[in-house]
Amino acid sequence: MFVFSVKAQDHLSIQLDLANNLFNNKQYYDAITEYKRLQFFDSTKTFNYEINYKIGECYKAGAKYDDAVKYFSLAELNARTDNELFDSKIQIIRTNILRRTSDRALQLCDELEKDERFNGKRDEINYWRGWAFIFADNWDAAAKSFAKINSNHELIKLAEQTEKAKVSVTFAKVISYILPGAGAIYTGNFLSGLMSLGWNLLSGYWTINSFVENRVFDGIVVGELVWLRFYRGAIQNAEEFAFEKNLEVSNKSLRYLQNEYKGIKP
Amino acid sequence: MISKTKPNKKLLITILLIIIPLTTANCQLTTDGNILSFQNRLRFGNYLYKDQDYLRAADEFKEYLRSENNDTVVFRLANSYFQIGRYTEAAGNFKGLFFNSQLSEEARLMFYESIFFQNDYKLFRVLAEERNFDSSLYGKDIERLKYISYFLDNTDLPSENIVLKSFPDSVQSRLINFYQQKKFPQHKSPTTAAILSTLIPGAGKIYTGEIGDGITSLIATALTTYLAITNFNADHQFRGWLFSGLAAFFYAGNIYGSAASAQIYNARIQFNFDKEVKLFFEQRNYFLPKVDY
Amino acid sequence: MKRVNVRKIFSVGIYLSLLSLTYNLNAQTDWVRWEGKETLYELPAIHHHDNTVDKSSFGMILLSVLRNTYYFFISDLDGDNCPFEPSCSAFFLQSVKETSIFKGSLMFADRFTRDINFFKGTDHYPLLTSRKFSDPANNYTLHSEKIKL
Repeated sequence: MFVFSVKAQDHLSIQLDLANNLFNNKQYYDAITEYKRLQFFDSTKTFNYEINYKIGECYKAGAKYDDAVKYFSLAELNARTDNELFDSKIQIIRTNILRRTSDRALQLCDELEKDERFNGKRDEINYWRGWAFIFADNWDAAAKSFAKINSNHELIKLAEQTEKAKVSVTFAKVISYILPGAGAIYTGNFLSGLMSLGWNLLSGYWTINSFVENRVFDGIVVGELVWLRFYRGAIQNAEEFAFEKNLEVSNKSLRYLQNEYKGIKP
Repeated sequence: MISKTKPNKKLLITILLIIIPLTTANCQLTTDGNILSFQNRLRFGNYLYKDQDYLRAADEFKEYLRSENNDTVVFRLANSYFQIGRYTEAAGNFKGLFFNSQLSEEARLMFYESIFFQNDYKLFRVLAEERNFDSSLYGKDIERLKYISYFLDNTDLPSENIVLKSFPDSVQSRLINFYQQKKFPQHKSPTTAAILSTLIPGAGKIYTGEIGDGITSLIATALTTYLAITNFNADHQFRGWLFSGLAAFFYAGNIYGSAASAQIYNARIQFNFDKEVKLFFEQRNYFLPKVDY
Repeated sequence: MKRVNVRKIFSVGIYLSLLSLTYNLNAQTDWVRWEGKETLYELPAIHHHDNTVDKSSFGMILLSVLRNTYYFFISDLDGDNCPFEPSCSAFFLQSVKETSIFKGSLMFADRFTRDINFFKGTDHYPLLTSRKFSDPANNYTLHSEKIKL
């Protein structure tokens, strides 16, 4: 009996190695098949935690985040130690970050932080909270989260720089109400801003001139169809330019994080 | 406080007890030690099949069938393909069970289902006439499927009595309704719409149900024509021609648009009808019996 | 006490039913083989006018250039006004490409009239995620087989 169980155990270990090899070779679909096979034949459920955790990782690597969360949750249920529990919970948070369900990720971070068992892991929780804020495009809060780990943390500078490089959407809009085209110039789109200003001056002149010359109908038509259109357009453009500029600022930092950042990523 | 937390723990344990067997069900011990033996492949395949993990199940069944021959496994392999929508492979495998098999009748039915769900109804009807493939047990179901196929494509319908007699009494009135709609669709004529708009701008659009577009078009044509006339009368030649051009633009565009609008109206009628019919049959699973092994 | 229990049983029931739902849904993920895929961290860019010059014929080059000039001097500056997707200018180019300059102009005239109708709504046009009405040129070529609703 003893010999037999050792033998079966051997087979299971070999099967685990096979599955892990497929995983390491990035053959995730086949890796899941082999993990499932192992799970099916692992009558003592020795590997239940590892299997579910690994299947979760496979789905995560295939950007199938709903399935990944499901399997990490199963791993959580099968965790034998606090460390395993923590690892599976962190994986759920990381999957939520990638899935862009940042609210859920932040909520889970808060729950983990309140749990006294994980008092010694505050740094890790804050690290992923920072990432969740980054994916929610809230760089200011991200910087504060990283600062809780270490005031010299390398991601603080990036988050702060990103926040600083952004323009104010409200300001761009407000100055466009006062001087059409100003918002576009503020966001660096000089040509567009000057052309907006030009159209507004020209159509404004046409409108006022029509009223001065007592051509009321022409005045109303030009005012409504031309002047008002370009006036509204200038405000809309200012908002869009500011939004787009901020998007580009965020994306530059996100590209850095994805391609050049050496630390651990979600 | 303590008395409040106790039931919570109990509840948690109960939940865990329910969930864990649910999620990790069907684990079995290897008897011969070799996880990849063909017998074990079959067991694992059957487990995946029950778990609706059909593509993985199919791979296991294929491996098993390399060394063993088993009609049930072939049936399951075919049904796995069927379930994931790979109907050509499903049909091929079901066809392999047509002769000298205990599952011959079921395989014939599933073969026809596989062809039917490929949406090639013409091919389906040709094959339905194939005497060699007749099923004594499911012949009626296959024939009914043939009549359903007439509702789903653009072929002329056979006579009403023949079509309706395959279906149960409870759905007769619905089917008569569908039959009439299919045979005599309530279409609008693009030519009529265009002629109406030629006589009165916008009338064709009102005829096709686009009342707002029709009125807009009438106002636009009338206003630009009026402006053209007043400008010519006031001897503003350029403005006169400009508004004449615009009037012609609106007038001609509306005639064209009315014909197009009638076509879209017809397409929408067809679309809604097809959707309703499909839903009707889908909800009743195409009146098919459930077979699984 | 009794009420709390009922609520708990109810919530556990909901959880279990949701779990069984994901259990079935999971199978569907793997009904087609898939490979590893890296998610882009970048946020999706804003959609802009399509400025590409259509080089299929001399007429189309001319029209594309005209359209781009219109975009540059007017459309990019006067805000987002067209409720349709594609916008009227893009619709015109599509129409001409699908049919001819004559028929395309008629299609454009009809589209323009439909655009100035105040009472257009979702009962006649499907609403896209961009909050615009879907109204592609291929529906108006008078070839009924090209209509897509």
